[in-house]
Amino acid sequence: MGKKGLIPIAFLLLLLFPFFLPRFYVYLSSLILIHGLLATSLNFVLGFGGMYQFHHCVFYGVGGYTTALLLTKTSLSPFLAFLAAPFASAILSILMGVICVRLSKLYFGMLQISLGSLVWAIVYRWYSFTGGDDGIHGIPIPHLLASTNSAYYFTLVITALSMFAMYRMLVSPFGKTLQGIRDNPVRCEMIGVNVKLHQLLALIIAGFFAGVAGMLFVIVDTTVFPEMLFWTLSLEVLIMCLVGGWFTFFGPLLGAAILIILRTIISTYTVYWALVLGVIMTLIIFFLPNGILGYIEEKLKRG
Amino acid sequence: MDLYAVLSQILVGLSRTVILFIVSSGLSLILGVLRIPNVAHGSLYMIGAYAAYTISKYFGGQDTGFWVALFGAPLFVAFLSFIVERSVFQFLYEREHLMLVLLTFGFSLIFGDLVKLVWGGEYKTVPVPRIFQGYILLFEHLHLPIYNAFLIIIGPVVALLLWLFVNKTKMGKISRAAAVDREMVGAVGINVSWVFGVTFVIGCFLAGLGGMLVAPTISVTLGMDHSLIMESFLIVIIGGLGNIWGALLGALIFGLTQSLGILLWPQFGIVFPYAAVVLVLVFKPKGLLKSTW
Amino acid sequence: MLEVKGVSKSFDGFMAVSRANLTVNKGEMVAVIGPNGAGKTTLFNLISGILKPDSGRIIYKGEDITFLSPYEIFRKGICRSFQIVNVFQRLTVFENVQLSVLSREKKTWNLLMPAKKFYVDETERILEQVGLKEKRDTVAGFLSHGEQKILEIAIALGGKPEFVILDEPTAGMSPEETVMCMELIKKLRHEMDLTILFCEHDMDVVFGYADRIMVMVRGETVIEGTCDEVRCDTLVQEAYLGVSDE
Repeated sequence: MGKKGLIPIAFLLLLLFPFFLPRFYVYLSSLILIHGLLATSLNFVLGFGGMYQFHHCVFYGVGGYTTALLLTKTSLSPFLAFLAAPFASAILSILMGVICVRLSKLYFGMLQISLGSLVWAIVYRWYSFTGGDDGIHGIPIPHLLASTNSAYYFTLVITALSMFAMYRMLVSPFGKTLQGIRDNPVRCEMIGVNVKLHQLLALIIAGFFAGVAGMLFVIVDTTVFPEMLFWTLSLEVLIMCLVGGWFTFFGPLLGAAILIILRTIISTYTVYWALVLGVIMTLIIFFLPNGILGYIEEKLKRG
Repeated sequence: MDLYAVLSQILVGLSRTVILFIVSSGLSLILGVLRIPNVAHGSLYMIGAYAAYTISKYFGGQDTGFWVALFGAPLFVAFLSFIVERSVFQFLYEREHLMLVLLTFGFSLIFGDLVKLVWGGEYKTVPVPRIFQGYILLFEHLHLPIYNAFLIIIGPVVALLLWLFVNKTKMGKISRAAAVDREMVGAVGINVSWVFGVTFVIGCFLAGLGGMLVAPTISVTLGMDHSLIMESFLIVIIGGLGNIWGALLGALIFGLTQSLGILLWPQFGIVFPYAAVVLVLVFKPKGLLKSTW
Repeated sequence: MLEVKGVSKSFDGFMAVSRANLTVNKGEMVAVIGPNGAGKTTLFNLISGILKPDSGRIIYKGEDITFLSPYEIFRKGICRSFQIVNVFQRLTVFENVQLSVLSREKKTWNLLMPAKKFYVDETERILEQVGLKEKRDTVAGFLSHGEQKILEIAIALGGKPEFVILDEPTAGMSPEETVMCMELIKKLRHEMDLTILFCEHDMDVVFGYADRIMVMVRGETVIEGTCDEVRCDTLVQEAYLGVSDE
C-alpha cells in the first residue's frame, strides 16, 4: 500500500517543522494538530458511529479546565494534571452518554447539546472556581514544555499516539461493529449486538481523546476560557469533519488544517472570515458532500 | 423571600417568554413541516432587530418609526428568507439532518457577517414608543413597564393567529398533512415545494417579529443570535417538535426558570433553564407534548 | 423443531396474525404463502423476537422462546434475512459477514486486535458457499440488488444457524436470479444441514422447493400440509390460488 507510506513521511516532515518555520507557524501547527485530534475524536462517533454528537467540545473544554485547575490550584505533579484531563472527560462522557444513548439522530444530538450547554453555563458562571467568562490565564507549564518548540513536539507525539490508538480501535472488531451499528442499528441488534452499550463505549473513547486535545491546548496556549465549551466551537469542529471527509480517518485532521490555515490567511485581509467559511461550507455541502478526502478516495477507488 | 420580588421576576420572565415563544414557534413550524433544523433562525431574529433599528430611525425614531418597524422588520426578514429558501434550501429538503444543521449554520455565519458589514459592530438602540413608556402600578410595590405589558398581551395574540393559520386555513391544513406524509400531499396534485416555501417564510417572519419586539428592551448587538438560537432549539425539543403549544409550554418553562433562577441564585441563574431542559428530556425524551414527527 | 401455537398479534385493533399455528420439523423446508397483508412478515417478526405476541406460544427445541429478545433468539441459532435489503451499506462484503460471526462469538468488544485477522477462514467459506467470494472487498452498497439479497442470506449464515427464516429471499429478482437464488438455498440447506422457513410470492418456487406449505389468509392459518395436500385443498384454491391465477 503506497498510501500508508505517506504517514511516516508526513510525520518526519512534521518533526522538522520547528527547524525551518518561524515561531508563530510552529504554534499554529500545534493548534492544527490539537484541533485535528479533537475533530478525529468527534468523527470516531460521528462518521464511524453515526451518532450526532453535536456538542463534542464539552469534553475538550473539560479536559482543558481539568488540567488548568489542577496546575493552578493544587501542587500536584504536572504530569498527573495532564493525565487527569482525559479521564475527567471520559467520566463526563459516561454520565452524558448514559442519558443520551437511549435516543438517536436529531434527538440524541439535541439532548447532548442541552447537557453540554448546562456544563458550559456552569463553567461560564462559576467565577470563584473556573474564572467565569475570563477563563484562566498564564497557567504555569513545567519548564520542559514551556517553549513553543517543546510544546509542539509534545503535541505532535501525543497526537500521533492518540490517532494511532483510535485507528487501531476503528479497525478492531469493536470498530467494525460500531460501523455496522452506524449503517444499520436494527440489523445489528438482530445479529446479537448490544447496540446501546457499544455506542456508549464509543462515546467514552471519543470523550477521552477530546480530553487529551483539551489538555494539549493548555500546554500550547497556557490559557483556558469558556468558549472552549461553547456550542459554536462544536459546530466548527463538525465542519472540520465535513470539509475533510467524515467517512475517512484522516479527513477531520485535513479539515482542521485547511480551516485553520485558511482562517489565518484570510484574517490578515478581512474581518469577515465567518462569511468566507459560510460560503465554503455551502459549496462543500452542495458539491462534495463526502468531503475532500472522501472525494479523493472515491476517485482512487473508481480508478 | 420577598413576594413582590418573585412576582416581578415572574412578569419579567413572562415578557421574556413571549419573545422566546414567538421565535421558537417559527422554528418549530419549520422543523415540524420541512424537517429543517434551521440554525440560521437566530440570525433572522438578529436581522429583525437590526432592521427594526434602521426602519425606526428612518421614520424619525419615534412612535411612527416603531409602528412601521413592527410590520416592516418582520416583512423584510420574510422577504430575505424567501430568497434564501427559493435559491438554496428548496433543493435540500431530502438531505440528512446533520447536513442541514451544518448548512444552516453556514448561513448563520454568512448572515452574522453580513449584519456586521451593513450595520457595523456598535450597539444599537431602538426607542420605546411614547405610549409604551412608563410603568403600570399593579400593586403597591409592583411596577410593570408598559412595554412589557404590551409584550405579554401580544404573545397570546400571536399564538392564536398561528393556531388559526395551522388549523383553520387551507394552507395550514396542507402544511400539516405535508408534515406527516409529503408524498401523499404531492400525489393529490399540490405543489409541495410551494407549501414548504410559504411555511418557511412564515416561520422566518416570526423570527423577525421576535427580533423586532425584543429590540426596544435590549441593546441590539452582534452575537445576540447565538444564545437565542440555542434556547429556541431546546424549547422546541422539550415542547415536542412541530407542536405550537409545545413551543409555548417550552418557552414558559425556559423563561420562568431563567428569571426565577436569577432571583434564587444570581450567579447561576443561566444554569437553571438548561437544568430544566435536561430534566424534561431525561423523563420525556421526545418532548412534553405530541410531536408531529 | 419449531412450534408456533395459537399466536396472535394485533396493531391498533387490526389483527395482523390471529391464532396462527405452524410446525417445522428438523431438516424441513417449509413455505408460508398467502396474499399481501396476510401477516407473513409479522409472523416472522414474532418468531425472531422483533415483535412480541399478544397471546400464544413459540417453542423452539422444546424451549419457550416467545418473549426472548432478538439477540437471544439469534444466539439460539435462529437467524433471519429480511424482505427489504438490510445489509451494512458502507462495510465490505467480507466485513458484513464477518460482523455476524464476530457477534456470534462475542468478540465485538475486542478493541485492540485488527479485525481482519478474525474468523477469516469461516467468513470466506460462507462467501464461497453463497458465491460472493469474488466480491469480497466490494462495499456492500455498490452490489447489485440480487447480490445484496444473497449477502443478506450470508449475514444470517454467519450466526451458524440451525434454523433460518428467509423473508421473500427472491423479492425483486429477475426469473433467472430467482432460480439461482433458490438453487443456492437448496444447496446450503444440504451442506449446512439447515431447517428453513421462508415465504415467497412465486408459486412455482414454492411448490418446487418446499417440503410443506402453510397458507395464511388474513392472519389465520388456512391449511398446513404437503404440497399436494395444499394444491388439492379447495379452500386454498378459492381463497388464494384462484386469486393469483386471475
